[in-house]
Amino acid sequence: MSKVTEKLEGMNVWIYHGQIYIPNIYSAGAVGSRFLVGLRDKKRIMGTRCPTCNRVYVPARSVCKDCFSQLDEWIEVSHQGTVLSYSVCHQPNPVQPVETPLVYGIIQLDGADTGFVHMLGEVDPEQLRVGMRVQAVFKEERVASILDIKYFKPLG
Amino acid sequence: MARESPKKKAKESKPEYIQVAFNTPRPYNWSTGKYLGKFYAEAKENRKIVGNRCPKCKEIWLQPTVVCPKCKVDMGWDWVQLPQTGTVTQYTYLVYPLWDPHYGEKWANPYPSAMILLDNGFYYRAFLEETDKDKLRVGMRVQAVWKEDYEERGQGPADILYFRTIED
Amino acid sequence: MPNRVAIVGIGQTYHKRGRPDVNQAEMVGEAVRAALADAQLSIKEIEGVFFSNMETFEGIYLPDHGMAAEVGSFGKPGLKVCTGGTSGGSVVVEGFYFVASGLYDLALVIGFEKQDCGDTTAAITAATTPVWGKGAATGAIGEFAKQALSYMETSGAKEEHAAMVRLKADRGACRNPYAHLKLGLKSVDEILQSGYLVWPLRLLDFCPQSCGACALIFASEGSAKKITKKPVWVADVEVVHQEPFRAGIFGDPTGQETYTQHVACERLYRRNGITNPRKDIDMAEIYEPSNWEEMNLYEHLHFCEKNEGWKLIEKGITEMEGEFPVNPSGGVIATNPIGATPVIRVAEAALQIRGDAGEHQATRDIKTALATALGGPNWTVLTLLKRSL
Repeated sequence: MSKVTEKLEGMNVWIYHGQIYIPNIYSAGAVGSRFLVGLRDKKRIMGTRCPTCNRVYVPARSVCKDCFSQLDEWIEVSHQGTVLSYSVCHQPNPVQPVETPLVYGIIQLDGADTGFVHMLGEVDPEQLRVGMRVQAVFKEERVASILDIKYFKPLG
Repeated sequence: MARESPKKKAKESKPEYIQVAFNTPRPYNWSTGKYLGKFYAEAKENRKIVGNRCPKCKEIWLQPTVVCPKCKVDMGWDWVQLPQTGTVTQYTYLVYPLWDPHYGEKWANPYPSAMILLDNGFYYRAFLEETDKDKLRVGMRVQAVWKEDYEERGQGPADILYFRTIED
Repeated sequence: MPNRVAIVGIGQTYHKRGRPDVNQAEMVGEAVRAALADAQLSIKEIEGVFFSNMETFEGIYLPDHGMAAEVGSFGKPGLKVCTGGTSGGSVVVEGFYFVASGLYDLALVIGFEKQDCGDTTAAITAATTPVWGKGAATGAIGEFAKQALSYMETSGAKEEHAAMVRLKADRGACRNPYAHLKLGLKSVDEILQSGYLVWPLRLLDFCPQSCGACALIFASEGSAKKITKKPVWVADVEVVHQEPFRAGIFGDPTGQETYTQHVACERLYRRNGITNPRKDIDMAEIYEPSNWEEMNLYEHLHFCEKNEGWKLIEKGITEMEGEFPVNPSGGVIATNPIGATPVIRVAEAALQIRGDAGEHQATRDIKTALATALGGPNWTVLTLLKRSL
């Protein structure tokens, strides 16, 4: 086993280099799964609609945050939408999906009442604008993950 | 002959549940501080087990503490060497491999884990060398076995490999 | 003097090994809706929401932040509690304080754990101090294994007694629609033939890893009487924590370690005029991670004298039909979504007092019940429930 403790110079203090390495598996649940399978099988982006509040949640979720009703009305939304905000990340981290610089934004798709976070691609960071119109680009090989959408590219 | 409506023939399909795996280790650094550091130093340099002694109640604590858990006074720097032989009071051994979060893999530690009553009345938790479960019993006499190589030591309690059974 | 607090709503999920059909938030939502339906209240009337969960088991940091919609906590005061195994007990105490303070009328208290997300033993091993815990830790189960050995050596209990406790738990679980492990065990011999997991604990001797949630609604006296004809009063609570500096955490051969159960019981019993627990209390739902620990807890909770715990099970005193039923729900050994487990103990004790436990209702009339929580380095939370104050 490799050494995991290191002595500090000049004093009897040791530093233990540890890690917590427990693999986790998360269930998307029935509603989340239907959304993800829609991305994989039909390149469809779906939301659920609350009839009381007349709000469409994208990605689809099972409960309305304001009226607590359980949602079962499914709506397909457009692949096109508007960038509500964006940022460019330069600091790499092992949990990131792609290498830096990583451009991501909050995108509200046409037909949805909520924004969601995803990456922006095929765009020069200088040209990013709040309000710019974007279009989803899907991967060829999809696995029922939010990353089946590769990124959103500028329209037009 | 009338054809059956396609709706009736459609099978009930089982819903597909998606699961997402997340496998990134979370590294951290943890300092022993100078009290536990003294234990590390004695183990590495001299192959000794030491604890600190409370100035008021004279009880020895290992893990070494800054404040006495019983009297709540500052412990000071009175270090006492503990004996390295003792008697096994409790033990257990793994049958199935368990997931170890420190290494990120499943392994079955073959060495039994035991609570050993050292000869001065102090309890110490350690592994036993004896892996044959039929030879284990409460009351058996054991002795600490250290890592021989100086360079290998400096891992604190892990400098003691295990406790070996000694014949009376 | 605290204001009076009663439990007016109880809800649980059907506890299972895995719940791939829901995410964590949706699972908790099921228990919340069940509790609201039981109390016939709407989420709008709830004034504070309190959660109990141990994040490391699922690897989701701050899970309560991601479930405001599913749980209805949006815009409401509350907090998440993690005190190791006693988290559910601590959250019951928090909900109790919230309403007992007189500042609020209705609190929602939730315990949950979705253990199909991660490995529990690894998480517990990771929770130990990096230097001392790592080297010799075998997770919680290792500690209970050592306790079992100590108990056998000092009290005279045999493996048959542990098997009798397991049989009692399974009988209760098979009659409890919400319980996780319903094995249909038929005899002590069947259990004695099963394999060892961490010696001397058999696979059957230790609690499972379950996914589940349990929700309780607490109300002030004025509200409780309007909401339900059967309020269950939270008469008293007690919390004792400690850090063991000496020997085996759960089975201490030195006789010097202070058991938190002793301290907690001494205080709670004295405050409530309980001098003979088996007579003054009608039943208990205790947190027993292993069947050996159950016999140990009979002694620590003063249900019997030292070293006599195994005699209670031998004489059938703690069976569902016995004079002092313990865990007629099947207990922790049948169902253990850790963050929810102590809340389930309170919920099951409350169901017994209400007479709503269905097929696992104890034979004798239950007017007073004790629910306990156990966790970490043997911490204790006690909750005393009564049909009338």
